[in-house]
Amino acid sequence: MKKYDVIIVGAGIAGMTAAIYAVRGGKEVLVLESRVEGGQIINTTSIENWPGELGISGVGLTRKIKEQAEELGAEFDYAEVKKIEKNANGWTMIGEDDEKFEASVVILAMGTEPRKLSKKQAADAGERAISYCATCDGALYKNRPVVVVGSGNTAKHETAYLKNIASKVYHIHHDDPIPKDAVAVFVAIGRVPSTNFCDGLVELDENGYIIAGEDCRTSEEGIFVSGDCRTKNLRQLVTAAADGAIAGTEAIKYLG
Amino acid sequence: MELLDFYADWCGPCQMLKPTLEEFEEKHPEIKITRVNIDEEEEMTEKYNVSGIPCLVALKNGEEVAREVGVLPLKKIEKLVGVK
Ligand SMILES: Cc1cc2nc3c(=O)[nH]c(=O)nc-3n(C[C@H](O)[C@H](O)[C@H](O)COP(=O)(O)OP(=O)(O)OC[C@H]3O[C@@H](n4cnc5c(N)ncnc54)[C@H](O)[C@@H]3O)c2cc1C
Repeated sequence: MKKYDVIIVGAGIAGMTAAIYAVRGGKEVLVLESRVEGGQIINTTSIENWPGELGISGVGLTRKIKEQAEELGAEFDYAEVKKIEKNANGWTMIGEDDEKFEASVVILAMGTEPRKLSKKQAADAGERAISYCATCDGALYKNRPVVVVGSGNTAKHETAYLKNIASKVYHIHHDDPIPKDAVAVFVAIGRVPSTNFCDGLVELDENGYIIAGEDCRTSEEGIFVSGDCRTKNLRQLVTAAADGAIAGTEAIKYLG
Repeated sequence: MELLDFYADWCGPCQMLKPTLEEFEEKHPEIKITRVNIDEEEEMTEKYNVSGIPCLVALKNGEEVAREVGVLPLKKIEKLVGVK
């Protein structure tokens, strides 16, 4: 098995930026991704606040950053990391099919995922379609009744968007019963960090975010964190990239 | 085996899936991929009760044997269809 200097878990903007920095520091770098590079931003068609690229799409930005990381020498592989174990000289990442990957240093960059419906509402939804993205899946429910669950701004936007497509749009809160005639349930009740497997590995806050300051060092030596899964105030593309730069640089320093 | 790929032009995850599907096609030319644009082929989309896109449906002798909603890496598409 090839042993890497740095393995980055998650190929979002944070993870890919960390890869760029670590590989430019002369390290052997692997990025492990469970689905596809880009993470949360790939659903966005026009980004207005990424400096230098007004209106670039999430897919466009992702392709550019991945190309850059690969060009510089970072490797990418696809596996969902289920567990990370300490070994004699670093860490072993264990993937969903028991695949193993080894590195001296780990950078956690798993970002966040949509919060799922409560058990009660999920049971209420039954076999009906559940979607976490109205702009992605709304078109599948032309002239049919749907429901949006959530109280925040995203839920309001999704409701307004779906009103142009569906025959009726119910808007309910996170504990309300799901209307009988709704054929699809659009869920917009916030996001949670994708840190399930990190319990016992590094310190998490009460909401599951990995605790680290601006230096991106976790409670465990040799494990760094970057992007939306870290405790921080502003979760955006540029702050994800900034974390990637710091974690990548800290990893280089740590490796010496 | 056959693979149905339900997509739309405006769907970011579908665009991310496209090169991976092309790679799959090159590696497994024996498996036919049918691309279904949900905006143009509403009948097919309804027939397969597609609930989100991208959606990959694996067919064996015309019968659905597996499906996945959301973008997937090559390895997982191979797993879905049952090829290496
Ligand atoms: C709809 C929407 C619109 C947005 N618009 C903007 C905007 O206009 N401007 C802006 O600045 N920000 C925007 N944001 C916020 C921005 O997208 C995020 O702050 C940023 O993308 C976070 O990047 P990240 O790399 O930390 O995490 P993510 O993008 O969440 O990436 C994490 C990656 O890790 C992978 N992963 C997770 N768990 C595992 C595992 N166990 N094993 C392997 N891989 C794993 C995931 O599949 C994912 O690819 C938006 C967010 C959303 C949801």
